[in-house]
Amino acid sequence: MEENSLSLLDPVEAWQPWAPSPKDPWNLKWAGHLYRRAGFGGSPTELNEAVARGLPATLDLLLTGKPSADALEQVLITVGRRAAESGNDLGNRLGEQGFDLRAWWVYAMLNGGCPAHEKMTLFWHNHFATSIAKVRRTTLMFNQNRLIRQHALGKFGPFLFDMSKDAAMIVWLDNNSNLKSHPNENYAREVMELFSLGVGHYTEKDIREAARAFTGWQTNGNDFDFNARFHDDGEKTVLGKTGNWNGEDVLGILLKRPDCAEFLVRKLYRAFVSELQEPPAKLLAPLAETFRKTDYDIGDLIRRMVSSRHFFSAHAFRQRIKSPVEYVLGAVKTVYEGDPSPRPLVQRLEVMGQQLFAPPNVKGWPGGQAWLNTSTVLARVNFAQALVMGGLWNDQSRGENFNAVRFEPPSGPKQPEVKLPEEPAPPENQDVARLVRQAKATRPEEAVRVLIDAFLPGGVGDSARAKLTAFVADGKPAGAALDRRVREAAHAILSMPEYQLA
Amino acid sequence: MLSRRQFLTRSLQGASLLTLSSAVPQFIARTAMAAEPGKDNILVVVEMNGGNDGLNTVIPYADELYPKFRSTLRQTKNEVIKINDHIGLNSGMRSFDRLLQRGELAVVQGVGYPNPERSHFESMDVWQSADPQHKATTGWIGRSVNELHNATGGIPVMHIGPTRLPLALQGATGGAISINNQMPYRLELGGGEPDRLKARRKLLEDLAQPAKDDASLANFVYRREVQTLTTLDRLQEVLKGANTGQANNFGPDGRPFGPNALPQRLQLIAQLIQKGFGTRVFYVMRDGFDTHSEQAASHRNLLAEVADGVTSFFETLRQTGHDKRVRLMTFSEFGRRVQENGSKGTDHGAGSCLFVAGPGLKGGAVGEHPSLSDLDAGDLKYHTDFRRVYATLLDNWLGCDSQSVLGGKFEHLDALKKS
Repeated sequence: MEENSLSLLDPVEAWQPWAPSPKDPWNLKWAGHLYRRAGFGGSPTELNEAVARGLPATLDLLLTGKPSADALEQVLITVGRRAAESGNDLGNRLGEQGFDLRAWWVYAMLNGGCPAHEKMTLFWHNHFATSIAKVRRTTLMFNQNRLIRQHALGKFGPFLFDMSKDAAMIVWLDNNSNLKSHPNENYAREVMELFSLGVGHYTEKDIREAARAFTGWQTNGNDFDFNARFHDDGEKTVLGKTGNWNGEDVLGILLKRPDCAEFLVRKLYRAFVSELQEPPAKLLAPLAETFRKTDYDIGDLIRRMVSSRHFFSAHAFRQRIKSPVEYVLGAVKTVYEGDPSPRPLVQRLEVMGQQLFAPPNVKGWPGGQAWLNTSTVLARVNFAQALVMGGLWNDQSRGENFNAVRFEPPSGPKQPEVKLPEEPAPPENQDVARLVRQAKATRPEEAVRVLIDAFLPGGVGDSARAKLTAFVADGKPAGAALDRRVREAAHAILSMPEYQLA
Repeated sequence: MLSRRQFLTRSLQGASLLTLSSAVPQFIARTAMAAEPGKDNILVVVEMNGGNDGLNTVIPYADELYPKFRSTLRQTKNEVIKINDHIGLNSGMRSFDRLLQRGELAVVQGVGYPNPERSHFESMDVWQSADPQHKATTGWIGRSVNELHNATGGIPVMHIGPTRLPLALQGATGGAISINNQMPYRLELGGGEPDRLKARRKLLEDLAQPAKDDASLANFVYRREVQTLTTLDRLQEVLKGANTGQANNFGPDGRPFGPNALPQRLQLIAQLIQKGFGTRVFYVMRDGFDTHSEQAASHRNLLAEVADGVTSFFETLRQTGHDKRVRLMTFSEFGRRVQENGSKGTDHGAGSCLFVAGPGLKGGAVGEHPSLSDLDAGDLKYHTDFRRVYATLLDNWLGCDSQSVLGGKFEHLDALKKS
């Protein structure tokens, strides 16, 4: 694709709703695309149902959820609080702290009633990136997650106000020590640089002045606690506006800046449309304008993005690299029918570079190409092996081994390589070969087609298809041997470059 | 001198070399060549992430203004590790005394750049891209790979750590790799007949195919996958023998540093160097230097981790004589405000210090400590552009043209040159 191809697009036309046509129909390719972006991917059953249901009803299902979504959310919140409360006991064992809470969140992402709501909750966790490494209390991390869930598809203004008073955020960005006598600029800086305007849209002086407005915004360890004694109620000038501003006033000033909508739309474009090219401001302008006019209605913006012509085009198709969460959850949804335990997924995500509730810093995970290095690529390939062969949920010793091996000192004479037998077939509902059997596909090319439709709807190149077919055909396996071969092929597909793309 | 456009063109050419021949990608071909034990000089870069408090790292203990600015954080004349009559190191860095005695530690003072950024990310980008104008999208080490002599055809630059590949290493022809000790670096294909395992491994390689469009994301992923498969076997061999027993595993307060601490990672690098892995630049990051509150103990421990790690690293290398071909430098994105804040911590500032270690340099203080009476809006004034440090190491140590890497000429620091 040409470097400037996005600047050739007509911005108004690009964001018009897409209408399928006989030439470019609503099919598995686009259903898979929509499910990967608005959610965490779809199972073969979900994708086939989506094609039958049509685009409008599928958009509703993804963006507003099942009828039971609200009730399910209440259950998830109750369970989450319990996971958080159990987690504080492990406070001194770093790395383990928050394990239950992470597993709970993975469970919510897999099973929540509204896929876009779950997707946006993860997006905002990365936007208001707060880490348990400093906050140290799982209950505060859970409360922040709950706050995010409340606002994830709501209005950004109230969201920003609540987030600025969130206890975990106050601990994370040191606002308890932001005092009239000694202002601490941490929150004032990040709220402008990372949460609302972006670098270059404010001055160092704006930060110093805004920091004074947030003085006294403290937490008592559980909730927000305004401490007037430490608040500086003198006059401040922030972004050209002068007054006796407090924190709310400053947030109001930020929300009135035109830069705010563009900053957020640009970030959401990267998350939902494409990260290959930086979109010109002109292309984003119609979205930013509507976003402002709707009082920063996040749900409305997401719907416009993922129902647009631009979204259903080559500019967006497979133009993002899957985050570890997208990679793992998407693969699990395809392979596992039912209700998998989220626990084995948590540490797999960590070695792929995405430990939930622990982004690397306040800027969040950098994402995109940074997800893939020689460590994390290998972590994905090894995860795929454990998933398709059933070891992830059924072989406990393997799970433990996974974390136990460090750089060992050399010990004694070299151990001879032990030849292990093939793994037994996983239970039916966790066996990817089930998909091929259900489709009654016995010829190698049919088996490969079933796998490609399930994992890579939209297809792969002819040469890759031919290599997979030859691999499945080799030695003419049948019965259990064919099942095994199908699992091996699925492992290879999960490791392909194309599968790393969302 | 190469322009930025030329850098980019060069990297792209390098990248497309990989994709041209699908049967035997260049990268595999080069890596497969038998490795001679390396004879080239090696650079190790230690990133101290978060903004290290330079004023409490290299302490002007004799300056009467120092205790006034640092009323709770100050270290006294008796606590610091003296370098001369004016400055000393934070008491956490006791093990650095051993390197100082040998004349193998240079303490470079007053390092910075014009119009300093106080955002972690912006300033880290400046240091890693070596471009205060924010125009470069690649890192200084990544770009240097295009100029480096690489006798073994091995992985030219390596990042040891669980985090993303740092910007400093991005833009390297043939890529830079990351390894970490969170997981064994091994392809897990489970059980089965050796023939089947071979067939599966071959399928992985066959399916890692370049796409038609060279600039596509799929091609980026393809290159990462080829690199991963290639590195697997060789690195696994080296790691099998890795021994981290030399490292000091405990901080001054008796707490263990943890399994992924700097000393352990530096020991792994020492092993890779001793095994002749051929890598020219190693990069490690330690975070936690963003000390806004109650910093005295935590900062001292962090500095101890750095000093103990670096000192034991050179002691390991000395046993085999490899220390003579290794230089190590530290850096952080900025220093901190001179005046401590009300929470016994320090806020983002500018101008700081860094360390360069290794045999054959001129040890001790390099440059004056920045004045505490002549501040720039509450920050130390820098007098040495950080790119002078890079230029000296690039030209004099790595033997590659600093002008084409840095996009300009920077005066060398004589104290850092090899004798």
